[in-house]
Amino acid sequence: MRENLTIGFIGNPNCGKTTLFNAYTGANLKVANWPGVTVEKVEGAIKDHDLNIRLVDLPGTYSLTSYTMEEQVSRQFILSDEVDVIIDVADASALERNLYLTLQLLELGKPVVLALNMMDIVEKRGMEIDTHRLPEMLGIPVIPVSARKRIGLDVLLHAAAHHKDCKDPECLIHHHKYKPKHRHDHHSEYAMVYSDAIEDKIDLIMAELKRKYPNLTNYRWHAIKLLEQDKEISERYPVSLPDVIDRNYESDIINEKYDFIQEIIREVLVNKDRQDALTEKVDQALTHRVWGIPIFLGIMAVVFFLTFTIGDWLKGYFEMGIESLSALLSDGLVAAGVNEMLRSLLVDGIVAGVGGILTFLPNIFILFLALAFLEDSGYMARVAYVMEGIMSKLGLSGRAFIPMILGFGCTVPAIMASRALENRRDRFKVMLITPFMSCSARLPIYILFAEMFFQEHAMLVAYSMYLIGLLVAILVAAVIHLIDRRKSENYLLIELPEYKIPSSRTVAIYVWEKVKDYLTKAGTTIFVASILMWVILNFGPQGYTTEMADSFGAILGHWLVPFFAPIGLGFWQIAVALIAGISAKEVVVSSCAVLFGVPNINSGAGMDTLVGILSASGFGQLNAFCLMVFCLLYIPCAAALATIRKESGSTRWMLLSALFQLVVAWVVTFIVYRIGLFI
Amino acid sequence: MYLCDGKIGNNYKVSDIELPTNMEKRLEALGMTRGTSVAVLNSKSHGVLIVKVRGTRFALGRNITKNILVG
Repeated sequence: MRENLTIGFIGNPNCGKTTLFNAYTGANLKVANWPGVTVEKVEGAIKDHDLNIRLVDLPGTYSLTSYTMEEQVSRQFILSDEVDVIIDVADASALERNLYLTLQLLELGKPVVLALNMMDIVEKRGMEIDTHRLPEMLGIPVIPVSARKRIGLDVLLHAAAHHKDCKDPECLIHHHKYKPKHRHDHHSEYAMVYSDAIEDKIDLIMAELKRKYPNLTNYRWHAIKLLEQDKEISERYPVSLPDVIDRNYESDIINEKYDFIQEIIREVLVNKDRQDALTEKVDQALTHRVWGIPIFLGIMAVVFFLTFTIGDWLKGYFEMGIESLSALLSDGLVAAGVNEMLRSLLVDGIVAGVGGILTFLPNIFILFLALAFLEDSGYMARVAYVMEGIMSKLGLSGRAFIPMILGFGCTVPAIMASRALENRRDRFKVMLITPFMSCSARLPIYILFAEMFFQEHAMLVAYSMYLIGLLVAILVAAVIHLIDRRKSENYLLIELPEYKIPSSRTVAIYVWEKVKDYLTKAGTTIFVASILMWVILNFGPQGYTTEMADSFGAILGHWLVPFFAPIGLGFWQIAVALIAGISAKEVVVSSCAVLFGVPNINSGAGMDTLVGILSASGFGQLNAFCLMVFCLLYIPCAAALATIRKESGSTRWMLLSALFQLVVAWVVTFIVYRIGLFI
Repeated sequence: MYLCDGKIGNNYKVSDIELPTNMEKRLEALGMTRGTSVAVLNSKSHGVLIVKVRGTRFALGRNITKNILVG
């Protein structure tokens, strides 16, 4: 029988915790939701050492107070019996701040192992850490690792496995070089020993706790928390010692912890002043007072340029594959004597719809690759600083801009990222405007229609969509800010990590997840939508029909035309495609393929056919532009709507925001169409 | 003076923080307690700053910097 071991990973944000976690779990990674709380934890399982090891990745946190939801969840999880041992991941290149969490973890009384991550960076900068003295001062094993270079991973796991039963600190050796000996000499028991004044109070509270709650464990931690007037502990274990807890001692306790950290740093860190000059230099340009915003816009322009050009170049090969597959299938089915109806479903419905979407995979791949680079390099946090000026005029914090950029990739994670905003009003605002940021699912629509109708200006037209989306989002935020005059206080506070070359493994995992999502979507939502589309276009009141004009689809489309006509989209096929597009935005394209009977819609020949059909019915450049604008702004896809419902916790809010987006889309497209007609 | 008026390249000592408790506690957890030295690395107009506190860089909005009294 293998023994079970549960290891909790905890650390500051940006300490490389997730990289380390991924290095262990690799493909076994799965995402689960905390029961009842919206904070996510990630779990992975590995087998080692005759142990079934379960790894739990907790949200990054600087401290373990009970002021935020994440911190409360992490604290409760660590204190629960579920965790056998904690691995505290510290960024060795920022040891001073990372040790603050370590000291708090030590007081929890659970077995802790310290993983000194990013040791390669420390060495590269010429700094050195005394990894012999550090465990002596903390009383726990300290293991140098490099998650990026996969160094020290096995040793860390061994240390955790062997240390799982050690509740008392080992090897604590504390010299009083800097302070005279004091009355409370607990240095052989605890790493963190406070001043006599505080220790006196801790002793008194501990005595009272032991009397009042004889079944409690770890009295010292509870006593410290009571001194800090921690909300959760004070409510759960009230003591009445008005003379001892005469005020909130939290600031004193924090200060003394940092004093001790300084003592540790003095003893273990050699060449402390070797700072990374590179980050400072890069920041001087990227966060420049004047150039910061133009540089950001330039970077985004490059991202989309690469998405279109490299993506298009790769796309050609995909098209050839789909084309030959389609021909092969068609011939095979004819040879096998399959009846006409089934043949039509397979070739005109499924291959045309799903196959058409698959050809856009290279564009999507490049876009997410670029976004992964931006996220992993450390630039994303700078954007919050750069945009703070503009965002504060909209009543939002610069931090709210990060979900908006993520929205260029996919609206679903972008809306989830709005959790990082503390303010509830801000979250709702961001949820309302993020869908206007043009996500990757809308890309196929731009690529197809821009290339069909604007040829050499295609990229410019596609760029304009991103700009229109951004402008509408900003405008909507500004209007809301004007209406809701309540002076909202926004506090921008975000750590700016050091720049680093993105880790290929992290980027690969990130991109693979997205590509997998896209393929899954093609195989599920788009697959089903294509079949449904085929059904409503091939069946009418009279049953199966090859005459599309008699189908249910046509009836529905004609019925919707009056709504779409004023915005230049009064074509029944387009109306049907747009309704179908609510399932997923790519479906607009796959539906067009089915609706217009164009098998390989993204190929040169396919496009020519479609332009021919559309032009014949009076659908020109202006109509194409209006279609793109409408697709950009109208109701987000079903997955995004579900996320909005989940994150806001309100179906009413989801419906209201969908209606709002529909109205905005209609009005903006109407204006564009009227101006276009005038020109 | 307040931190929002800090000049690039200078070091300041925090003497008081006048923010809502939640915000104050978050700053303290990051090591910005009374007496801590804060270096201003970069600034934009209206007191939006990049500062370095105990070896870590942070971007701080004006609503924070205008409420941190420094000496």
